[in-house]
Amino acid sequence: MKFRCERDLLADALATAGRAATGRTGTLPVLSGLRLELVGDKLTVTGTDLELTIQLEIEVGGERDGGVVLPARLAADIVRSLSAGKVEVSVDGDDVSIAGGRSQFAVRPLSLDDYPRLAAPASSAVTLPSGEVGEALRQVVRAASTDEARPILTGVLLTAEAEGLRMVATDSYRLAVRDLPGASVLGADQKVLVPGRALSELQRLVGHASELTLRLGERDATFEVGNTRLTTRLIEGEFPNYRQLIPASYPNKLTVARESLMEAIRRVKILARDATPIRLQMSADSLRLTAITQDVGNAVEELDAVLEGTELTVAFNPDYFAAGVEAVGGDEVTLETLDALKPAVLRGVGRPEYLYLLMPVRVP
Amino acid sequence: MRLVIARCTVDYNGRLSAHLPEAIRLIMVKADGCVAIHADGGAYKPLNWMNAPNTIIDNGDHWVVTNPKGEQLIITLLEVIHEAAHELGDDPGLQKDGVEAHLQVLLAASPDAIEPGLVLVRREYPTAIGPIDLVCRDGQGQVVAVEVKRRGDIDGVEQLARYIERLHLDSSLGAVRGVFVAQVVKPQAKVLAEARGFRWVEVDYDELRGLKADDLTLF
Repeated sequence: MKFRCERDLLADALATAGRAATGRTGTLPVLSGLRLELVGDKLTVTGTDLELTIQLEIEVGGERDGGVVLPARLAADIVRSLSAGKVEVSVDGDDVSIAGGRSQFAVRPLSLDDYPRLAAPASSAVTLPSGEVGEALRQVVRAASTDEARPILTGVLLTAEAEGLRMVATDSYRLAVRDLPGASVLGADQKVLVPGRALSELQRLVGHASELTLRLGERDATFEVGNTRLTTRLIEGEFPNYRQLIPASYPNKLTVARESLMEAIRRVKILARDATPIRLQMSADSLRLTAITQDVGNAVEELDAVLEGTELTVAFNPDYFAAGVEAVGGDEVTLETLDALKPAVLRGVGRPEYLYLLMPVRVP
Repeated sequence: MRLVIARCTVDYNGRLSAHLPEAIRLIMVKADGCVAIHADGGAYKPLNWMNAPNTIIDNGDHWVVTNPKGEQLIITLLEVIHEAAHELGDDPGLQKDGVEAHLQVLLAASPDAIEPGLVLVRREYPTAIGPIDLVCRDGQGQVVAVEVKRRGDIDGVEQLARYIERLHLDSSLGAVRGVFVAQVVKPQAKVLAEARGFRWVEVDYDELRGLKADDLTLF
């Protein structure tokens, strides 16, 4: 195998595919590598940990077809470190030569034969607007758990609704629900659970593309954005019945300017150390935020707000609360509450497609 | 443990020849006879070393370290800057996974977390191929072998299979079934466990430790 390529193009491809290669290789050390396969002028770079696979195709100046598996991190570090311009990669005997400018590296490859064969994605494809999907992912993935001890909660539920597609994620402390009206990806009543980690990676990829293609298999989902294909295993298991967590109505509804609230949270959070909760004291025409860290100090900020219902004080984990306010979007945000110990709902005014349900924190 | 910081050169004669030119280095001679020469950098790997058993001949200005294969390390001391010897005693060994060991203790105290009605018979149940993490009896009196891992992969399932094979040799135990327990059971391990006829259970370490008791959660 031998090809020439612009440094930045190859460095980006190695970095992107490298996010799926794993450091925890267990019984298959080759998974710490990236497979490079050259056919003509088309170089395919693949990284996988068997759960998540990222594959890119880039145009290079091909000289000799072939394949090789390079240690992912090492190859990315080398290519990134080369001076700008052309990089030449070739397999020379037992080593892979990576050269650019006046630098030359020889790297011992991993076994190509050990690299797993990856299944072809499902043939039926659905095209989605990547901007809207990217925004939905930004709003929902944040609520998925990262605790591998609860694998079901590390996934984002994609479920078919009458109006289109719904995305749901929860880590048991908060729940994010986003509707994508008009997006028909799934069959009636069909639902799949996609790992949040894979969707975080997808979020990075959809940034500049206009369209996203989804191919759903029985056990995996493949997303295609431009020249990049991301395949993830689906999570098996029953997602919690999230509908029963959302009350039909709330007696109290506070409306407040979102940007002012964001800034106030940022300031007050300085004194909400070690996950100390932020207290929200809601009255008819104001919202008072308070954070107290024992032996350190306290912070208080008051905002204009409109409350319909009963005056109430409720406390939240400051990071989860800030994430919710940031996610809802819009100029104004509403916070609907039942009481100080029941889940509250954040929504953007005029944005019915998204809700963020948040469990309060018990405070003395 | 003998520690010598010295300006030295080192020559190795064995499967290949290697030479370390004159520089200041740390020479470690361990109680078991291992010799390692370290530079002032790198986390763990010496520049050169010779595993025990070795014969060390100290000729004052140069040492000759020879192993049973006849390979030699010749350390020429040009200037000794520091020398010390310390008795370190027996090492308790590296405790690779405190969580796994703690999980085993917690589950032994609450086998109900694995499945309702389970009663512990013995922790670290001895077999000829090593101890089984937990041996319990279920509500019907059937013996249940439990393998506990932090991350459950296929190696752990195979280990459980080997243990159950051993238990089946003891007819007094009757039929034995297996349960594979981990914080996270990998998909491949789930498939293999089910194929072997074992149950697999994922447990929450924090919950077992009682860390989540005070948090309000949605479900």
